Amino acid sequence: MIKIKKSDFSTFITNLQKNYSVFAPVTDGKATAFKKIKSAEDINNKVLNTKRSPKEIFFPQSEVLFQYTEEGIKVPKREEKPFAIWGMRNCDTKSLLLLDKVFGEAHQMPKKDMYKDPYWKEKYDNCLVFNLACNKPLSTCFCNWFDGGPFNNTGSDIFVIENDENYIFEAVSDKGKKFLKEFKTAEQVSDKEIKKIEKLKETAESYLAEKEDISSLFSKTKEIWDETIWDEIAAKCINCGACAFVCPTCHCFDVSDEGKGKKGKRIRLWDSCMFAIFTKEASGHNPRSQSLQRVRQRVMHKYNYFMDNYDEHLCTGCGRCVVVCPVNLDIREVIKKIIRY
Amino acid sequence: MIQNLRTEVKKLLKDKKVDIVLGWGKGSLPLSSTPVFIQKEEDADRLIFDETCRNNLTTYLTKDKRKLGKTYDKIGIIVKGCDARSIVLYAVEKQINKENVVIIGVPCNGILEKKKVLQKTENKEILESKIDGKNVHLKGRDFDLTIPLKDVLCDSCLTCRYPDAPVHDIFIGKPRKKVDIKDEFKNVIDFEKKSSQERWEYIKEEYSKCIRCYACRNVCPACYCNECFVDQNDPQWIGKTPEVTDSIIFHLIRNLHVAGRCVDCGACVSACPVDLDLRIMNKKVEKEIKERFDYTAGLDVNEKPAMASYCENEKQDFIMG
Ligand code: SF4
Ligand code: SF4
Ligand code: SF4
Ligand code: SF4
Ligand code: SF4
Repeated sequence: MIKIKKSDFSTFITNLQKNYSVFAPVTDGKATAFKKIKSAEDINNKVLNTKRSPKEIFFPQSEVLFQYTEEGIKVPKREEKPFAIWGMRNCDTKSLLLLDKVFGEAHQMPKKDMYKDPYWKEKYDNCLVFNLACNKPLSTCFCNWFDGGPFNNTGSDIFVIENDENYIFEAVSDKGKKFLKEFKTAEQVSDKEIKKIEKLKETAESYLAEKEDISSLFSKTKEIWDETIWDEIAAKCINCGACAFVCPTCHCFDVSDEGKGKKGKRIRLWDSCMFAIFTKEASGHNPRSQSLQRVRQRVMHKYNYFMDNYDEHLCTGCGRCVVVCPVNLDIREVIKKIIRY
Repeated sequence: MIQNLRTEVKKLLKDKKVDIVLGWGKGSLPLSSTPVFIQKEEDADRLIFDETCRNNLTTYLTKDKRKLGKTYDKIGIIVKGCDARSIVLYAVEKQINKENVVIIGVPCNGILEKKKVLQKTENKEILESKIDGKNVHLKGRDFDLTIPLKDVLCDSCLTCRYPDAPVHDIFIGKPRKKVDIKDEFKNVIDFEKKSSQERWEYIKEEYSKCIRCYACRNVCPACYCNECFVDQNDPQWIGKTPEVTDSIIFHLIRNLHVAGRCVDCGACVSACPVDLDLRIMNKKVEKEIKERFDYTAGLDVNEKPAMASYCENEKQDFIMG
């Protein structure tokens, strides 16, 4: 483990920017979000969970796939430098692994050479992810239900712990090891400081609400598909897309052509299974015309279908949807209800 | 008050006057409530009414299947003043048969805007809260704060002239008549004084926050179209990106769609996850309608709505010629 002084943070970021496009949590009068920063001053290291999730760095809400004219198609030029993301929390770094199963890796799927999304891969494959430990989890955090935690580091390259004076770095992946090796100006961390980290970790974990044993969640969801429990769960949902749009793991998209005359562009846009139009077919028929069916879809995708395909829940317990839902449909309560049904 | 409400609801269910009652229950987060749908007498004890009862539950009344799932013959609904006015809107627009809805009014002292509270705590998380008539007491991990309730009420509540359901079948307690408010349109008047450049900058800045989640539309009682114009894709009326050029069209059209129908319940404002100022334009349109047609939405079931009627001596100065 090595460390840098907090007072050197700004230099650290400037150096990082030489080789990377750096993204970090930014508060600028709009919802806190991960944005490409100009300098360290833009960074808000205090915010725990950004309002908008970092998935948009790799999978933006709207992304031009290509432009077309009569001559043919043109794929927009990408960023040249690889991305470095500073200040992600464990619930977010983990979400990247989950999204990568869909867009990138595609491992464990029946067919090995599944389609890999070039737009995702090009940004994700070379990126460097710094996972900042959460010293003070929120009351809506429930990463511990999904084997994550304020001091876990799954899905990151470098784990960062903040104490009063320093940022302490620990390599997680090979990419992270390589980065830290070349990082000459850092100091070694003393044993005493390492001991103190244990304390920070204990305190952070004590902030989390009680862990729910969700081992039966998958099997339970298999049994309840046509049960009345969904009436109860879904009744108050107004089918907006707030939960899906702030969620770091929701990844449904729509493709839309915007053209005029003989030229235009094809755009990929976030979509949500909560929207009525999501499954509306060209004939006018809608297999999920009712709210209940759509709520069930979102819950089942998170805690059943994704598990079926990839052996993981499509939720990291970040709690963002809990905070934004305008009718207080709390996904933690949904999970508890299902388990106890 | 709350006991009387619960007793009343139990009675309605027992006498089979209603099949279901829409009300608020305790939410899972501090300063939150959540819609509850009561069908059994004993469940009526879950009902609450206080400054956290934010949602305008009338949005669940429209026949559109996206709300409430099933259809019920007789529905009871607990309403604040603004909510009651949405029911009038539904009746005027023939969306419900008022005979089938039992309107239960509760005395409203204003609803708390959680976003304002979070500004006061500088976005620090609230872990415990208590509201005692005049003040809100908040506790977080490293702070203790007491703030006057009036500083954190919804903007809509601060200018509300009809806090107690102007139309109701049952009222818990005694309804106040209209409350006198002098500067109902203050935010609009201040805004109108700015230069067009400044106004444009503000609107652009605000609408560029939008993530197109449609929470504002979906909580809104006035937005009940089976197919919203933003969802139509043949033809596709507007672009679907979160770029301000697209989202501004969504918002301006929605402003016009709710013109003379918006009851300023503020549900959209509170629902927006990115804190967009949705009220300024709605209030501007409301002011225009008030000045031009002397019409206030949701007060009288028999009055013709401003946008659905015509009379010869209406102001026509907006027609350029
Ligand atoms: S859910 Fe866990 S990892 Fe995410 S912010 Fe909260 S404590 Fe940190
Ligand atoms: S479903 Fe909710 S808690 Fe789970 S990852 Fe998505 S936003 Fe976070
Ligand atoms: S769960 Fe909440 S946020 Fe999600 S669609 Fe339903 S009402 Fe909207
Ligand atoms: S536009 Fe907003 S304030 Fe007006 S009725 Fe709809 S939700 Fe209420
Ligand atoms: S709720 Fe807010 S973010 Fe969502 S569509 Fe409405 S204005 Fe945009």
